Amino acid sequence: MLVSEIDMITPSSLSECLTQLSKEGRKHRLIAGGTDAVVRMKEGKWRPEIWINIKNLKELRYIEESKDFIHIGPLATHTDITHSPLLQRKADVLVDAAGEVGATQMQKMGTIGGNIGTASPAGDTLPALYVLGALLELTSLKNKRIVPIQEFIIGPGRTVLKENEMITKILIKPQRQNEKGIFQKLGPRKAQSISIVNVAISLTMDQDRKCVEGKIAFGSVAPTIIRARKCESMLTLGPLNDELIQNIAKIAWKEVMPISDGRATAAYRRDMASALLERGLYRLIRRWENQ
Amino acid sequence: MKSIHFIVNGKERTVVCPPAKTLLDVLREDLGLTASKECCGKGECGSCSVLINKEVVCSCLVLAGQAENQVITTCEGVGLSPNLDVIQESFIAEGATQCGYCTPGIIVSAKAFLDEIDTVPSVDEIKTALGGNLCRCTGYTKIIKAVQTAATKKISKPETIG
Ligand SMILES: Cc1cc2nc3c(=O)[nH]c(=O)nc-3n(C[C@H](O)[C@H](O)[C@H](O)COP(=O)(O)OP(=O)(O)OC[C@H]3O[C@@H](n4cnc5c(N)ncnc54)[C@H](O)[C@@H]3O)c2cc1C
Ligand code: FES
Ligand code: FES
Repeated sequence: MLVSEIDMITPSSLSECLTQLSKEGRKHRLIAGGTDAVVRMKEGKWRPEIWINIKNLKELRYIEESKDFIHIGPLATHTDITHSPLLQRKADVLVDAAGEVGATQMQKMGTIGGNIGTASPAGDTLPALYVLGALLELTSLKNKRIVPIQEFIIGPGRTVLKENEMITKILIKPQRQNEKGIFQKLGPRKAQSISIVNVAISLTMDQDRKCVEGKIAFGSVAPTIIRARKCESMLTLGPLNDELIQNIAKIAWKEVMPISDGRATAAYRRDMASALLERGLYRLIRRWENQ
Repeated sequence: MKSIHFIVNGKERTVVCPPAKTLLDVLREDLGLTASKECCGKGECGSCSVLINKEVVCSCLVLAGQAENQVITTCEGVGLSPNLDVIQESFIAEGATQCGYCTPGIIVSAKAFLDEIDTVPSVDEIKTALGGNLCRCTGYTKIIKAVQTAATKKISKPETIG
């Protein structure tokens, strides 16, 4: 398939989009901001017969709150997320992460639905979504199902999304009053770089640096995002003092399972996972104490 | 092939092209607007930056069909001699351009940034705003200076309405 032969359909509503997705016997693919899709089209990796263009499908671009959840439309851009006062208050870790995606141009164009759809082990919003317990609403013409993000992503670039389905909503649990999060990323340079390692942390805090409950998710150190369960279980052992933080960071070194690739060696990734977690915990506690 | 309509630099334009052709190629080849440059072709350098509905994006990653009916501004639309924008005048005054390849993209990004702010930005804020634009000549010092100069001018002399 040549690029010049690829067609494009721009549905004007979600239902029209779902009808298009349900058509069989042809190769089509959704395109939102296109920041992954066009790069892969140029590389020859993604050459569908038809792009289904959803970039301007306004009904899927929103950030709202209901009683138990925050609802994010898949077409919310990274800029929409960083600018949202609701998310700044109740999902700080996601705001942090979206602010680390590429540079201005990528944040204006790239969407959260696209970041999830690409399912890269290095996708920056993903660890944040893991610690916020994100649920994805997947919709087809005839069906709707809710899938937790950790069940949605099954490998690098691989998801359980069916040909006729799309992500129509991302649900996250709002952080509580005493819950604070942080996202830390190490890339080859500050702006516009793919993560070598990244980590999202969200802690529910009590008096005297005591943590009641905490979640930690690493990216780029395994085929999918992983929760660091052993590290998590240590968070509540006592006040988060220097000794405990450093011990947790040591356990992270063992808990991650990185590979070597063009961006970094496995050994470097282990060291950096440990260092990022340590730095993240210190910074998060400073945030909590200074608020 | 599809007939695609946009508003480019304030003018209604229609082109007939494959819908998956990049906006950058349409601007340069079909519309003869050659300020926007292709360098990396994959979103990393910013030399192809244009505004779509006032937001800065890399036109090398936007497909023509996706830009249909949108309002597009290129560096030519920011200003052309003798009617240059304050950001362009500041680039000249500060000597913020050398080979010039990155300049149209940086002007567009800086223009979008200046339109969003109402105080003179810090060096760090400018670096974040222009983080997606690479320059291999200037070392950035003069570019940052030019943005600050333009911001100072803009804020001391706000555009009056009407
Ligand atoms: C220069 C550059 C730098 C980058 N830096 C980073 C970075 O630092 N961190 C990072 O995480 N990413 C980075 N990216 C990757 C990319 O910008 C993000 O993954 C972005 O969020 C993708 O969103 P999009 O809307 O552009 O997706 P698209 O490219 O439009 O789509 C990506 C995939 O998701 C699918 N998809 C889109 N929407 C839906 C939906 N609603 N339902 C189901 N599937 C859907 C598409 O079919 C496609 O397979 C970078 C990309 C570039 C080019
Ligand atoms: S040519 Fe578009 S970002 Fe480099
Ligand atoms: S002036 Fe030559 S690349 Fe910037």
